[in-house]
Amino acid sequence: MARCSCELPSGRFSVVIEFQGVNKWFGSLHVLNDITLSVQPREVVVVCGPSGSGKSTLIRCINGLEQIQKGDLVVDEKRVGDPATNMTLLRTEIGFVFQSFNLYPHKTALENITLAPIHVRKTPRAQAEKDGRELLAKVGLGDKFNAYPSQLSGGQQQRVAIARCLAMRPKIMLFDEPTSALDPEMISEVLDVMVAVAEEGMTMMVVTHEMGFARRVAQRVVFMDQGSIVESGAPEEFFSNPKTERSKAFLGKILRH
Amino acid sequence: MLENFSFRTIGEYLPLFGQGLVTTVWLSVISFAGALLVGILLCAMNLQRSRALRVPAKAYIDVVRATPLLVQLYFLYFGLPRLGIILPELVVGVLALSLNSGAYVAEIIRAGILSIPRGQVEASVASGMSYLQRMRLVILPQAFKVTIPPLLGQAIVMVKDSALLSLISVAELTRAGQLLASDRFMPAEGFITVAAFYLMLYYCLKGLAVLSGRWLGLGPARSRA
Ligand SMILES: Nc1ncnc2c1ncn2[C@@H]1O[C@H](COP(=O)(O)OP(=O)(O)OP(=O)(O)O)[C@@H](O)[C@H]1O
Ligand SMILES: [Mg+2]
Repeated sequence: MARCSCELPSGRFSVVIEFQGVNKWFGSLHVLNDITLSVQPREVVVVCGPSGSGKSTLIRCINGLEQIQKGDLVVDEKRVGDPATNMTLLRTEIGFVFQSFNLYPHKTALENITLAPIHVRKTPRAQAEKDGRELLAKVGLGDKFNAYPSQLSGGQQQRVAIARCLAMRPKIMLFDEPTSALDPEMISEVLDVMVAVAEEGMTMMVVTHEMGFARRVAQRVVFMDQGSIVESGAPEEFFSNPKTERSKAFLGKILRH
Repeated sequence: MLENFSFRTIGEYLPLFGQGLVTTVWLSVISFAGALLVGILLCAMNLQRSRALRVPAKAYIDVVRATPLLVQLYFLYFGLPRLGIILPELVVGVLALSLNSGAYVAEIIRAGILSIPRGQVEASVASGMSYLQRMRLVILPQAFKVTIPPLLGQAIVMVKDSALLSLISVAELTRAGQLLASDRFMPAEGFITVAAFYLMLYYCLKGLAVLSGRWLGLGPARSRA
């Protein structure tokens, strides 16, 4: 399904995530160097780059898991880090999928999914459980509602983790290398779920090196190196015709294995 | 030696030992409940960002761990009256045990909470939970599991420590042995009997630890239909 950002109405509401000259340091390490980037509603942006280039930090700033030190970051019209912004409330609009799943080990798959809707969104339990079962069916785990995370494979755990985020009906979904902890044969089952989420029109930022995924659903690939956005463009263009030495070297490396 | 060992005298003193045992058990139960309270409070202070809360908690824990329980007991026993606070021996004893064990309990609970992987906190933060929701729904239920066995270990230590209360004439188990030893000049009978009762208490708590470990070990695999 091809989507085009040119269909979107222009104006300030057509941006969901906006980085303006954002900088962040870990001690003396400059992890985010003057990042300017905007993401529009229903857009899927893939972030790639070498290890340590700041990809995780970039998306973790969006829901305040990391704090920015300079510049402006506006998410869903709220300024991140502004004392006037209720971060807890903003986070309910942002799903975050971790590389290591981070499911709650003491809760079943269904309980993992219903926990935040019941306690944060105050959805009645019966309704939350009904929604939860539907979501589990949607990620292909309709029969696993009673399983604990330790009883699920990595791919299944990651699909539960995605369902757990979707249960909050977020406006934005962030993924931090969602398939890099998985055995190769489980990667596609997770990517398929992510493609389905993208095709329903979710706004997504995905840190991944899965080029197949980027080609299928992303409007844009952002290449980072040493805390800076070095290159950004349409997936086809970026993969077949990288413009900088650094992106060429990087693509050479990930293509080789 | 054994021909001189008077089982009859032990029999005569059995009611006294029985009372001592009962006192040891219930003062231990109350002291341990107190220790949990003190421990939870100290641990909560210790985990805060504010230095004003963290520093006193850390200092308290260090002082308690660095000084002998007997010194702490005497400090309360002789020190409180100087401040005009006159309390019965038993209360002073329970207070000393609670304040002492509380420091160890605080460290056990803290280790349990810190053993929960960072990712659990991040996942619950990212889902929009408040600090209290995170603690209640995600962190504490998992920490609970890992703290039960060491807490029971601390309970065993505390039951043995309660013997020191005999020195401020609390009529607990060791005090019963002392009475037999001094009234009838039979220290062997007195203290062997006392030791046997402590051994019994030890096995009760150890059994509880094994049972809870087995029960908790099953934890996540148990189906809850
Ligand atoms: N909490 C932290 N404290 C100090 N330095 C950190 C912290 N988190 C990350 N860093 C450093 O910041 C840099 C960027 O880290 P980040 O995790 O954003 O990179 P990344 O692009 O996601 O890398 P990877 O592909 O390995 O996940 C790295 O050099 C990392 O060592
Ligand atoms: Mg990373």
